[in-house]
Amino acid sequence: MRQVVLLGSPGTKRTIYLEKAAEQKGLPIVFTDWNSWNDCRRLPVAEELFVKIDPPLWSSCSLEELNGLADGYIRQLEELGSYAQKRKMTFLNIPSAMIELLDKRACKARLQQAGLPVTEIMQTYVCLNTGKLTAELLFEEMHRQRMHQVFIKPVKGSGAAGVSALRWQPQTGRMALYSCALLQADGTFVNTKCLRRFSKTEEVFPLLDRILEMDCIVEQWYAKAEYQGYSYDLRAVVQDGRLDFLLGRLSKGPITNLHLNNRPLETAALKLPAHTLDDIAKLCQKSMEIYPGLRSAGIDILLEKGSMKPRIIEMNAQGDLIYQDIYNKNSIYGHQAEMMRQWLCGK
Amino acid sequence: MQFSMVEEENIDLTKKTFFYDYGEYEQGKGPATMIEEIMESEHFPHLKELVIGNWGGAYEESCQAVIDAIVANAEKFSHIEKLFIGNMGFEECEVSWIIQGDYSKLWEAMPQLKELTIKGSMDLELGDICHEELEALTIICGGLSKDVIQSIQKAKLPKLKKLLLFIGIEDYGFDGDEDTIKELLEQADFPALTYLGITNSEIQDELTAIVLDSKFMGQISTLDLSNGTLTDKGGALLLEKVPAWPNIGKLDLHYNYLSDDMAEKLGALPMEVDVSEQEEAEEYKGEIYRNAMLTE
Repeated sequence: MRQVVLLGSPGTKRTIYLEKAAEQKGLPIVFTDWNSWNDCRRLPVAEELFVKIDPPLWSSCSLEELNGLADGYIRQLEELGSYAQKRKMTFLNIPSAMIELLDKRACKARLQQAGLPVTEIMQTYVCLNTGKLTAELLFEEMHRQRMHQVFIKPVKGSGAAGVSALRWQPQTGRMALYSCALLQADGTFVNTKCLRRFSKTEEVFPLLDRILEMDCIVEQWYAKAEYQGYSYDLRAVVQDGRLDFLLGRLSKGPITNLHLNNRPLETAALKLPAHTLDDIAKLCQKSMEIYPGLRSAGIDILLEKGSMKPRIIEMNAQGDLIYQDIYNKNSIYGHQAEMMRQWLCGK
Repeated sequence: MQFSMVEEENIDLTKKTFFYDYGEYEQGKGPATMIEEIMESEHFPHLKELVIGNWGGAYEESCQAVIDAIVANAEKFSHIEKLFIGNMGFEECEVSWIIQGDYSKLWEAMPQLKELTIKGSMDLELGDICHEELEALTIICGGLSKDVIQSIQKAKLPKLKKLLLFIGIEDYGFDGDEDTIKELLEQADFPALTYLGITNSEIQDELTAIVLDSKFMGQISTLDLSNGTLTDKGGALLLEKVPAWPNIGKLDLHYNYLSDDMAEKLGALPMEVDVSEQEEAEEYKGEIYRNAMLTE
């Protein structure tokens, strides 16, 4: 007997809307809670399983715990991978590929090796090593490389947690650090989910040092394409090689993450030229070809202001939750339900 | 050289934005090369409106070479009626980091100019302004210096219809106070003015009181007090005094700190009133914080 399993958390939008999509197709899905997996390391008994893995819920806003939580998740995925070797199991996204995408540094390097345009990482040994970069060294490198505005991203982060944007005017020494990370008076280091701007050296350096301790990649900060006074990037959801959804993420600030009250916009409104849309679709397809173990991924894409050249910002093996889709056609989960139905039918 | 991709600009061949991206700047393009490239552009002869975005490292180099090159080639720019220097987004340069230039020689060099818009105020100088045709002057910035305000105050602009100033805050270049604006409005002579914008201030209530007592109230049709920290205190003043001026057809109060109740009352005034995007003050350790829209 074949069985489709969703491993996730109850009551989340991911769970609710995949179940809705499955119900519409008359597809039975067995839901398994992450807590249940953690307790007994078992999935439902069936001859063959098709498993979709949703991310576990993290309630902590402590950035000090971010790497530990990410490492724990990687271990869970490794265990799932090992478990799958003992049973007949198919994954929507195989755990090993998901793990690869959880390392932003490795993912970007792989995309770059394949010749795909990405947002460039600052290339120095201090930026490429692990956790040795300090604020002082970073400013030295920015000066040496004449790269005066950069993004700093925790290698293992998700969403905007710890993601920061830094710019510096070398002539005047002025600096501005945009971050949701905050060093609180009691010394705790948290993700406030609220973007703040820090411009005083005595504020920027300690916060930046703390962010860099998490092990971060440093990328060039490109001026993004603009729409009606907002800058924007795009979230593409690609499934089975098909671009299922493309959403504009508009922002007045440097970080476009939609959890920061930024504005989503259907890409049709952006009136992108056909050749740009074509470039985006091809880039998405090529990115997915690099990770054959992924049938679904969210890909964040930047269009450079002026040239509109697309560059991959990052890929996320669990970037399929798009509110503008679930509250509308629910087409992304509909497509996943169709993949599952076809598997059940032996296709 | 990049051209903007704004759809309407693709249709309107008389308007074009020119800018360098980071890569071009790193390859040696900059303010010194920009005007030459603009003049070589096939679009240039057809333009009426010229918009100059990032001239390359606007946080490192001033646009003085751009201004000087326009002045040096004044005859070739005689078809340009609208000029915007510094139209760049937040991602290219913080507004307060844009290094502007000295416009003293531009007035004489472009006698046909009808509109001038400047973004950024660092190192901005306007000099002695004397221009027979200029109809609109807009300065968008995080903080306007007293020197620039005084240049405007002494300006000879007989046809000026629109004056829109982003006053900004002390940290980003505004070194004046209420009296600076009071003096500006008392001494400036703009007989054709119909649009007055004193905006983007962290003392918007105080400036509103000054504007309402100014001589321009009897002649303007649009009063723009947007993008600042206007509270119900300033709102009450507007409710009390604006009805005495039936010539005012539009009141722009968007992005301020008005309560819903006050916004509703102001919205009911017999004119077009924009009270959209009202912000809420933030409280931190017992202090109340309100920020003007554009400061960084």
